[in-house]
Amino acid sequence: MGFPYGTAPLVILLIAIVSGAAAMLSEATSPRADGRPDLIFATFSKEHAAAYQPAVERFELEHGVDVQLQVVSQRALQGRLQSSMQVGADVPDMVELLDGTLGVFAKGPVEDVGFVDLTEHVHREGLYDRLVTSRFGKWSSRGHIFALPHDVHSVMLAYRRDLVEDLGIDVSMLTTWDEFCRVGREVVTKDLTGDGVPDRYMIDLPADGGDALRLLMLQRGGAMFDEAGNVAFDNPAAVDVIDWYVRRVAGEDRISFPAGWGQNLAKAMTDGLVLFYICPDWRLKQFESDVPSLAGKMALMPVPAWEPGARRTTTWGGTGLAITKQCGNPDLAWKLAMHLYYDPAQLGERFAQTLILPPLKQAWTEPQIDAPSPVFSGMRVGRAYADLATQVPEEQSSAYMTLAVAKLSEAYNNALAHFQAGGEANLHEVARNELKSAAGRVRTVMERNRFLRDGAEIPVAAAAGTAKGVR
Amino acid sequence: MNTPNELQWTLIVLAAAFVALLLVSRRWATNYARTVVLIGVGTVMLLPFAWLVCAAFKDAAVLNDYTFLPPVDKISNKTVNLKNFETLLGEKQTVQGPVNFWRYVANSLFLASAGTFISLVFSSMGGYALAKYRFAGRGPLITFMLASMTIPGVVLLAPNFEIIWRLGWMDTYKALLVPGCVSAFGIFLFRQAIIGVPNDLIEAGRIDGCSEFRIYMTLIMPLVRPMTGAFCLISFLGAWNAFLGPNIFLQSQQKLTLPVVLNQYIGEYSQQYGVFLAGTLLAIIPPAVLFLSLQREFIGGLTSGAVKQ
Amino acid sequence: MSNPTLTPTATIPQTAGIAAATAVVPKQQRRTGGGWRWKVRVTPYLFLLPYVLTTLVFFLYPLLHATVLAFFQTSGPGRRVFVGTENFTFVLADPDFRKALFNTCLFAVASIAVQLPLSLGLAMLLNAKHGRMKAFFRLAIFAPNLVGQVFVGILFAMLFTPRYGLFNRFLHELIGWGLEMRWLGDPALVMPAVVIASLWLYVGFNMIYFLAALQNVDQSLVEAARIDGADPWDIFLNVTLPSIAPVVTFVVVTSTIGSFQLFELPYTLLQGFGPNNSGLTVVGYLYNYAFDSGDLGTAAAVGWLLTFVILMVSLAQIRLSRKVSDD
Repeated sequence: MGFPYGTAPLVILLIAIVSGAAAMLSEATSPRADGRPDLIFATFSKEHAAAYQPAVERFELEHGVDVQLQVVSQRALQGRLQSSMQVGADVPDMVELLDGTLGVFAKGPVEDVGFVDLTEHVHREGLYDRLVTSRFGKWSSRGHIFALPHDVHSVMLAYRRDLVEDLGIDVSMLTTWDEFCRVGREVVTKDLTGDGVPDRYMIDLPADGGDALRLLMLQRGGAMFDEAGNVAFDNPAAVDVIDWYVRRVAGEDRISFPAGWGQNLAKAMTDGLVLFYICPDWRLKQFESDVPSLAGKMALMPVPAWEPGARRTTTWGGTGLAITKQCGNPDLAWKLAMHLYYDPAQLGERFAQTLILPPLKQAWTEPQIDAPSPVFSGMRVGRAYADLATQVPEEQSSAYMTLAVAKLSEAYNNALAHFQAGGEANLHEVARNELKSAAGRVRTVMERNRFLRDGAEIPVAAAAGTAKGVR
Repeated sequence: MNTPNELQWTLIVLAAAFVALLLVSRRWATNYARTVVLIGVGTVMLLPFAWLVCAAFKDAAVLNDYTFLPPVDKISNKTVNLKNFETLLGEKQTVQGPVNFWRYVANSLFLASAGTFISLVFSSMGGYALAKYRFAGRGPLITFMLASMTIPGVVLLAPNFEIIWRLGWMDTYKALLVPGCVSAFGIFLFRQAIIGVPNDLIEAGRIDGCSEFRIYMTLIMPLVRPMTGAFCLISFLGAWNAFLGPNIFLQSQQKLTLPVVLNQYIGEYSQQYGVFLAGTLLAIIPPAVLFLSLQREFIGGLTSGAVKQ
Repeated sequence: MSNPTLTPTATIPQTAGIAAATAVVPKQQRRTGGGWRWKVRVTPYLFLLPYVLTTLVFFLYPLLHATVLAFFQTSGPGRRVFVGTENFTFVLADPDFRKALFNTCLFAVASIAVQLPLSLGLAMLLNAKHGRMKAFFRLAIFAPNLVGQVFVGILFAMLFTPRYGLFNRFLHELIGWGLEMRWLGDPALVMPAVVIASLWLYVGFNMIYFLAALQNVDQSLVEAARIDGADPWDIFLNVTLPSIAPVVTFVVVTSTIGSFQLFELPYTLLQGFGPNNSGLTVVGYLYNYAFDSGDLGTAAAVGWLLTFVILMVSLAQIRLSRKVSDD
């Protein structure tokens, strides 16, 4: 007699048994069984981990401890940290956080943030003055510093030097965005192949606004949130930037093309479809590895200023190092953090490897900062970024950063739609109104959060007795 | 528009052929049109698969250079290779130690097949009870089940999250298998199929001294094989492709399932689309195999439930 | 989640369930002695025990619990504050929720107005074919269903790439337009892109239902109508459609319920909710609230609102179809 349910269910049952056994077997034989190291340090970046490896080994020898360095996908890491804060899962001792993610963990009461408050340590160590001070804003919530800045991420424009020279453009003249756009129009309207379609665009700007909008606004002196944590993106600078941006993306003054990311970006770069690219230091390594064929054909220039003589840079992104509250040995973790992040002796070599400028000002005198780059036509890229580093605008962290960025983008998109529907005349006013209502939405949502209110009573769940079960 | 391209020419020729046929015979023309439309639709449905297969084997450097595969004279190790699969299947470091991609495959297989089998047993038992027994509370139960099916599962997501957390089932497969071990939907499918089984058979079984469970097992179940097949396929597909539940209830990296992991990879391999396309391709294989082997039962079983009034 | 079989397209034939609610009394109950009688009485309860237990714990209790939770604001499962009806008033006034509701309704309407007629059309085309050809096309058109929403999202995100994506190139070749359309970047195109992807995914599934229904249409009626000189459209309206009406109702109701639960497809396709939240759905809104911000209370409130909408819409549909078939 056969299996009563038929062959298919029998096969399914067998698959269940075999796969279940395989999963259990791999669980049992996994190397996690042999004792927890003294510190587990998780980062989302392969490049970071590779660069830290020698320093970590030195630290292990020096202190006689065992440190495990892990590279983990950013989403997995964030999900893991989030669920640990909600339901108490096991997490690493130290983690590198991506820009903007601190807010995700700071939506509840300050004491519920799952990271060690580093404010006192930072001041005791004098870090507040030794680093580019503006970098702490990103890693603070309600006045408490929860992570250490890894970088400055000043921004320049990378460009196809060969094509730009062929077109007879002198980049040293592109000191303001006005001049940049004027030249850009000439480039876009120059139809090289005569098919009526533009062959070259001046600059890569995401058509949906993306991060570019925000970083241009920062350059212009606007900010998403003020220092007190209030919504601030309905400022005049943001209105001007939206007005400007919309006209670069659509209509007769268009100079931009959204080149996107990854392979699409690489293709646009090699084809020369776009000439200039917004380029924080973390993008240098990507450009080097993704479009090797452009070595020697690229170069960098400071970002054009909004007004003659004004700020020639902005900032994009960042990484911060946090110590989780579950960490068994926070002092050791702090030592490792200092060793990895702010030991000038290592930072020169680190820069040579990652091309990311450290925020420790002392480190900028290391010889590697002045090394010429073969990819960027012999430019001393480290020096170029260091020269701009102190001009980098400050950005505040917020639990509502994601929402605010989405709403900013919404205001921009509505303004764009208005512009495309022929509303050129009152674009400025529309942008202002859109920003106002977008910021208003964020304020409403923030005011609703009972857990963020200062001095508010924060009751633990009614059924606290049972709720402690897993913690 | 400029001069027509190849695709447009093909369409023009096909349309011209239709007009020509129409002049000869209306019947031929309709038949011809039917076939052409079906071939067209079939092609459109299968093209993304073709693209997927090609993209998974193309080298990252040439992914966007060719829509499908490079022309024959450009095919070499540099353009078409297994690099994406090698990257995908290699061991990877995670928060809880290294995990191999095959582990996620095993997890997905286990959750989908164990879930399918358990719910097959419980749903068919429930379906049999509703089809062939009269008992107190039967009417209200049926009404309740019908009503419960209009309530979307996501409504229960938030409270279930709390229940799972209180039970201490966070990050275990119990959190997924137990709540899903039987469904009103499955019970109804089997009830529909079992109602058609003659009662004499059950009576004969009882007279022969079979236990009630034995009657269900050995007399009823073999008679509803098409429904069993259909149920297995639907259930397996549902569990295999499930995202929300595993994403919320599972936390350890080594316990995750394919949809969750591939969604994670989007961020990580944003420079190498080929890697998660290779993963997607691998993820389609098990349900495809299951479908091809159960195709007949599936169509027969599923439609019998819906069509019979 | 808790019910892996409740995928959008796979829901119960409800009309069928009600219609067949007459079961058979085992004759043994009358004929045989006490032992058997007892066994026969207890067995159905035992057989239904797993369902009853899981339903109590993971359906009824959460349902009641969701009602309580909806009046609290929470920070993860650990902290909560009573806020009265604020969750409901906030959500109902939130433009993002309205947008989510609008997108979801738009998707539901598109599913029913575009996808179902296409499914029916394909089923009718296929119904005229026989043998291998039929089997092959049935397989080809059904094949996308093997790919889950997450995988379709990943796949179509690439097919929709401006300039290089297969879909954009195809459109360009076909009608000379759309090479640089930013399907996933332009708020106005996001929902159409989601509809296109879901069309590819689901058109084959409902086709299977229609195909089966069409096979049961009485061919002699069709022949008779044809002999009477009715044209194909009349035959479709007066013979075919009435006889497949129950299946149409079933497919419409299940598709609606499925459409209202849309989430994974746009979420993976857009890697979030798209520019201007143009791909935000009600379930996406709920997910965002519950698991990104840790506010299970608002999520529960949204869940109840969604249930209410679904109930209203399906009741209206069932009532409408009854009315139509009564006429």
